[in-house]
Amino acid sequence: MDVSQYLEIFIDETKEHLQSLNEQLLILEKEPENDNTINEIFRAAHYLKGMAGTMGYKRMQRLTHDMENVFSEIRNAKMKVSAGLVDVLFQCLDALEGYLETIQETAGEGTNDNEPIITQLNAILNAGTGAQTLKAEEVKQDNAPSQVQDNSKFKPLYRDLTLEPQEKHVISEAFEKGLNVFAFTVYIQETCILKAARAFLVFKGIEDVGETIKSMPSVQDIEDERFDFHFSMYIISKESYKTVLSVIQNVSEIEAVVGEEFTYESIQNLNKKQSETSEQTQEAYETSEKESNVSAENMKTPQSSQKAQTNNNAKAGAQKPVVNRTVRVDIEKLDVLMNLVSELIIAKNGLVSVSSSETGENTQGFHEQIEYLERVTTNLHESVMKTRMVPIESVVNRFPRMIRDLNKKLNKKMELYMTGEDTELDRTVIDEIGDPLMHLLRNSADHGLEPTEARIQRGKPEVGSIFLDAYQEGNNVIIEVRDDGNGIDVNAVRNKAIERGTITADQAESMSDKDIIDLLFLPSFSTAKTVSDVSGRGVGLDVVKSKIEALGGDVEVKSKLGEGSVWTIRLPLTLAIIQALMVELGDEKYAIALGSIQTIEDISVHDIKYVEAKEVIHIRETVIPLIRLDKVLGIVKDEEQPENLTVVIVKKGEKLAGLVVDNLMGQQEIVIKSLGKYINIDKVISGATILGDGEIALILDVNTLV
Amino acid sequence: MEENKVEYNQVQYIVVKIGNEQYGIDISYVDNIVRMQKIIRVPKAQHYFKGVINLRGVIVPVMSIRLKMQLEDDKFTNSSRIIILKMDQALIGIIVDEVKEVVTLENTDIEKMAYDSKEDRTSYINGIGKHAGELISLLDINSVITEKELV
Repeated sequence: MDVSQYLEIFIDETKEHLQSLNEQLLILEKEPENDNTINEIFRAAHYLKGMAGTMGYKRMQRLTHDMENVFSEIRNAKMKVSAGLVDVLFQCLDALEGYLETIQETAGEGTNDNEPIITQLNAILNAGTGAQTLKAEEVKQDNAPSQVQDNSKFKPLYRDLTLEPQEKHVISEAFEKGLNVFAFTVYIQETCILKAARAFLVFKGIEDVGETIKSMPSVQDIEDERFDFHFSMYIISKESYKTVLSVIQNVSEIEAVVGEEFTYESIQNLNKKQSETSEQTQEAYETSEKESNVSAENMKTPQSSQKAQTNNNAKAGAQKPVVNRTVRVDIEKLDVLMNLVSELIIAKNGLVSVSSSETGENTQGFHEQIEYLERVTTNLHESVMKTRMVPIESVVNRFPRMIRDLNKKLNKKMELYMTGEDTELDRTVIDEIGDPLMHLLRNSADHGLEPTEARIQRGKPEVGSIFLDAYQEGNNVIIEVRDDGNGIDVNAVRNKAIERGTITADQAESMSDKDIIDLLFLPSFSTAKTVSDVSGRGVGLDVVKSKIEALGGDVEVKSKLGEGSVWTIRLPLTLAIIQALMVELGDEKYAIALGSIQTIEDISVHDIKYVEAKEVIHIRETVIPLIRLDKVLGIVKDEEQPENLTVVIVKKGEKLAGLVVDNLMGQQEIVIKSLGKYINIDKVISGATILGDGEIALILDVNTLV
Repeated sequence: MEENKVEYNQVQYIVVKIGNEQYGIDISYVDNIVRMQKIIRVPKAQHYFKGVINLRGVIVPVMSIRLKMQLEDDKFTNSSRIIILKMDQALIGIIVDEVKEVVTLENTDIEKMAYDSKEDRTSYINGIGKHAGELISLLDINSVITEKELV
């Protein structure tokens, strides 16, 4: 019996519950009286507690238990939600996330007890309920005797165990070594769903303090859940009876433990006089009475043995994270895939029958089948790609919470508005996009929005707004981070840049505002926190930029002083397949991503003008620099320059450039492949693809060309 | 293959011809041998990389041993072959003039190279094998493939 098989489900579900707790708490903060929300939180906390308990994560369980207590009081209208409480609850969530992270890496929950948070929770609970706690204690006391009475139905069944000669031998050897011998019968609550898991945890706990020499039913039967709600065993341990007992009691959903410590004599007697047990029974009952005290102690002091257990877990999982990267796939998407695969088989069969019946003249049937096959493979491709798509929600849903915290930390009032959370992106992109987005949001909150007083002075709404919008645009996904803050002070940036020697004063003259703002993305700029006039703007923006560019996207900023800024992130929908325009240069073939192509123009050589000795063309009121691809790529051509040039106008953000090519070959969907690690390729080539005829075409990276 | 080497102290080599010399390539590195095919030039790559080829859907870079060893450029003939080597899961092709045979060399047939040799290009070789009265220069695949440009 091993709980690790449930670990992935546990982690997934815990994440979901934590997320929903986060969201509900945010609502609760605004509407402290919202019953639905309170119920929802209570349920989530309860569920988390149950799951953590099932998996044997004691610390998590304890924390969620206390949270649940608080909410149970609130639900019963004995307590009111206060701002302080919400703060503590958020801390709880952070602590739980911490546990989850540790579990994800090591399969153990770590050793952090988060005692301060629990103390705070309890303090709030006590303060809030005051009188009720007394009552509760009374109730507890009422319960205590009844528990003892209940114990009478928990018989020391271990007495029915007959020890085999060799087991007796082991026991007497143990006595010789000065070890203790105990016997226990463990009763599991009848409501327990995973009793085998419980039993497993009991045995696992005992493993750390001693050795089980005999159990009834056998360990194998217990693992297979072939037992009622109780099991008995003999244990050899060098620990005291109390320690071993508390180890067992530490496992949740255990109703009662009956046990006793044996002396050499008593064990000898046991088998002989199994009928005369009344005296010993009495003794056993006494121990179980003690048990309630012991368990109370356990609650306070974490058991060393348990620590040992978690440590063991940590060791076992230390080599690699225990959870694989997974994608949750909508079952409908899988159904589509399934259908496509069956169509593929049909198409194959069609081809087989055509080829066997082929007499030479009927090529039409053959072509039909090929077309069918083509359609199926295209759809199949698309569907497989779709299974890799994850809504951006999974990244952005933690931001409201972050903004709330920043609210308190920066002492500014602000609100985050999000749209388009259901926009889907490739899983690999989703994994990487979180940090850059967070950075931009923090940037907006910290440096973009003015302090509240300044906002009032300027006649802006007191509460600052930050917008996060995601939407799809062609083959790209656009994510915009907007704020209605002060915007970027271009002059301050320019002066700073000159002061720092990034640009000269002359250069600054000729640079547009946009160029100046782009300086913020330079690493040299970002590392300096001294850009005081613009309140440190630019810190880490180069990281944002490089990360997004690594994903094949780009980032842009537009800003209006006094009105706010817009950061626009443009990301490719997927990394593996793109629509591309195939072009010919000399006798080589290259692919240009369709997403970056603006137009294709036919230009006469006479229309080429020169600016700073560089070739440009002037069409539709824009001056576009020309890039001679053959020169950039070192293609040798001996033919004369033709009268007319084919120019592919590409766009990178706001910048345009004209790529001169020899021939256009048409549009094609291409699969991007890497060139392998041994060959050093220039950044200009972003990969290669294999064409229909098996030939290779290299893919040009427009972003580095422009 | 690795095991064989240890157990029997013998290694199998593919004997190829580059120029007038015979070279031996440890067979455990060899994934495949293919005929000459169209090599797509990759702009701005190292000069000794001829480009890439499509090997059953995998794009494999192809280098010219001749250029790397500062010999004259390859002249592709009917007997030219590309030997596909597998290193750390990555494939790389090298062009040879001719593939002759596979020989098994005992440890005793191999004379280790002294590394203080004056000529630079000899450091692509880690030994000389003697087989049937002929000499075979044994290529040190690692140093052939890795980046280190010799001065």
